[in-house]
Amino acid sequence: MESARCYINGIGILSPQRTFVNTEFLEEVTNYNTNILTCITPDFKTYISPVQLRRLSRMLRIGMTAATICLKDAGIQVPDGIVTSTGYGFLDETEKFLKELLERKETQLTPTYFIQGTYNALAGLVALSVKCTGYNNTYVSKGFAFENALHDCMLRLLANNDLNLLLGSYDESAGVQYIAGLRERQFKKEPTNSLDIFKNKTVGCIQGEGSAFFDLSGQPSPSTWCSVEGLKLFYLPESAEELGEGISSFLKKHNISETDIDVVISGMSGDSSRDQVFEQLEKILFIQTPRVYFKHLCGEYCTATSFGMWLASSILKKQFVPEVVKASSTRFPDQIQTVLLINHYLNRNYSILLLKRYS
Amino acid sequence: MQQSVDELIVELRQELIKQLNLEDMLPENFDENTPLFGEGLGLDSIDSLELVVLLDRNYGIKLKDPKEGRHVFYNIRTMAEYIHKNSPDQ
Amino acid sequence: MTQRVFITGFGVITSIGNNTAANFQSLVHQRCGFGELSILDTIHQSDIPSCEIKLHDEELKKMADVGAGIGYTRTALLGLIALREAIHSSGLTKKELQLSGLLSATTTGGIREFERHYYDLIDLSKEGSFAQYADTANPGEHCERLADEVGIKGYIGTISTACSSSANAIIEGAQLIRNGLLNVAICGGSEALSKFTINGFNSLMIVDSEHCRPFDNTRKGLNLGEGAAYIVLESEESVMRKSKTPIAELKGFGNANDAYHQTASSPEGTGALDAMKLALSSANVSPSDIDYINAHGTATENNDLSEGIGIQKLFGEKAPSFSSTKPYTGHTLAAAGSIEAVYCLLGLQHQMIWPNLNFQHQMPEVSIAPVRELKQQVRMKHLLSNSFGFGGNTSSLLLASV
Repeated sequence: MESARCYINGIGILSPQRTFVNTEFLEEVTNYNTNILTCITPDFKTYISPVQLRRLSRMLRIGMTAATICLKDAGIQVPDGIVTSTGYGFLDETEKFLKELLERKETQLTPTYFIQGTYNALAGLVALSVKCTGYNNTYVSKGFAFENALHDCMLRLLANNDLNLLLGSYDESAGVQYIAGLRERQFKKEPTNSLDIFKNKTVGCIQGEGSAFFDLSGQPSPSTWCSVEGLKLFYLPESAEELGEGISSFLKKHNISETDIDVVISGMSGDSSRDQVFEQLEKILFIQTPRVYFKHLCGEYCTATSFGMWLASSILKKQFVPEVVKASSTRFPDQIQTVLLINHYLNRNYSILLLKRYS
Repeated sequence: MQQSVDELIVELRQELIKQLNLEDMLPENFDENTPLFGEGLGLDSIDSLELVVLLDRNYGIKLKDPKEGRHVFYNIRTMAEYIHKNSPDQ
Repeated sequence: MTQRVFITGFGVITSIGNNTAANFQSLVHQRCGFGELSILDTIHQSDIPSCEIKLHDEELKKMADVGAGIGYTRTALLGLIALREAIHSSGLTKKELQLSGLLSATTTGGIREFERHYYDLIDLSKEGSFAQYADTANPGEHCERLADEVGIKGYIGTISTACSSSANAIIEGAQLIRNGLLNVAICGGSEALSKFTINGFNSLMIVDSEHCRPFDNTRKGLNLGEGAAYIVLESEESVMRKSKTPIAELKGFGNANDAYHQTASSPEGTGALDAMKLALSSANVSPSDIDYINAHGTATENNDLSEGIGIQKLFGEKAPSFSSTKPYTGHTLAAAGSIEAVYCLLGLQHQMIWPNLNFQHQMPEVSIAPVRELKQQVRMKHLLSNSFGFGGNTSSLLLASV
């Protein structure tokens, strides 16, 4: 969907920072020392009925809360469709069922953890809660999951721009995945202060989690945050040059040049062994453009682009860039009209997203 | 040692609160005559399966047909009476 | 201007055949894959008989041509075997594959290997060959692995919506082609049996220890199965450019949500009805034009009631021939949508309608009944294939002859 405009008319996000109140914007920043970042959550009872709450795992509560905040923000009761995304799903629940299965040698097992562990449980839960009988899908494509889901929504809105589609993401900092990540040298071995991951880079990232929901529509509304102008995915680019060419041709399609981008939001991960393409890219493109990083705030996870998209939307709507995300000494412009979000996951899945201010 | 129906009721109140994650329910407020499904507590078919496993794990009773559950799990009292009658340990 | 979407190849592996030809023969001769488990190590080998592919992973590695196949889960192996057959049958070149999309679906991913090596994997002090499965449990892993193996780079996506997953993968592939974003999309899914799934479904008490009987009034539940299938979707432009004769057209599709319960379908068949209606309207086809429905028909009390009512509401007393092929293959979960789409294509090609085995007693709730015997020399124009899953996900594909 290189060129296809839609509007973000509502957002709800829970993350390792205090992001669940839309009027706030990183006034309070939390840093972590354990390499594992977990969500800062509100009192779930404010958002979810007790009858529903008891059946929900921690991550389902987080996801349901983000979805509820988003729908309220957009002023929508029932969206026309729901598309969610995740890389690893509800790992804690999956592990609980698996452990019981192994310990009890496959006897006397209860179904709750099994059901809560299904990848589309959140999409199903939201649909059930608001009685949305429309389009419903869940992408689980690791580092492309959120992008695929966004792409799907953009495509549908191209065909029918009156729709309101609820786009969501969730991934959790699960212990079992942290161990897997350590084995694969995906996570840092030595405890690192999250705010320092870009200084003295070491191998691996810090583990993050979060759930973000966006109300997307082909029509703007009084609650519009910004517009999404285009999205492009790159799988296993051979070099920074190849990626750079892809970005340039993407910008050309939008009749804009490098200098038209006011802020670049980069998903630099803090992993010295996997950030090389991005580091080289910073020497080729957008050298003069003010830059922002975000993974020191949310950690790394498959659907972290969603945190980046929230950040981009906030910057465009509030016309403000918090100090804690600034990653270059270049002066930020007073008026921010166009933002480019570029992300990578494990140096395999690259995506670029163009967003514009709505006024 | 055989448990009386009343003893089972006390035990079941706690077990159900734990197993079904009834976070806001206190055992002393859990009326053994309140219907568990439908209008009463509003439990559903997944909870019913949880209770089937509870019967097996805690009391050694295997309910083969989930439909039997409708009568057995009507309320805590019917559950206690069923266990009192059918548990191999009883 | 949207592109028409054609089907130019497919591949399949199930408990009734390692390739398309073998599956076809089994369908015709009513050979089912149902029986005791012998490959998967589980205490339920005898009491939860299923439709298992009687091949060990080492044999699958040879068939998939992956050498030592380090890090290959059974789900990935089954997927690769079916994918290779699909690519071969469509004659796609390496250059075409580079620009193609791969939309794959699974619910288990590598959970089978994860559960086998769980205690070793979580103990960081342990090393060994099990470590090849450190990061293969997640569902997206198999799709990237398959894409890398065959050289697909155009668009990669993995979908998991329970039992409607591969149907949704096909729908997404079709969407991408319709909108001119891809010329070729290979879509489908793969699922290997695991202790996790067998026990998970058993805990829901919807598994039958006997051979399943879809739509039968005495049905007691589903049989689980494993397998994989992929279909090659191509744009009208691509087909015309290559002067190819496609196998069929993917003329329409529908995706809806029941919004009734986490795991059960609405007794009114709302979700089923919505999905089928959307498929029909997207293809501009009326109910009376449908010649056959491959039903989801899992043989659970709930699904078959819901789906039966949905079909009857949409088609009335004059329902088209319909059958569930799950007595043959078991319920292959995420792979069901694509496996059954392949069976529809085989039926279309050979002018056959597959019987709904084990049906004897009419459900009192509906007056329609499935096809019981193999029907031959049936010229069909429009077929529907239904797939419904937990989370209320309902999908329906409309295939048409060309």
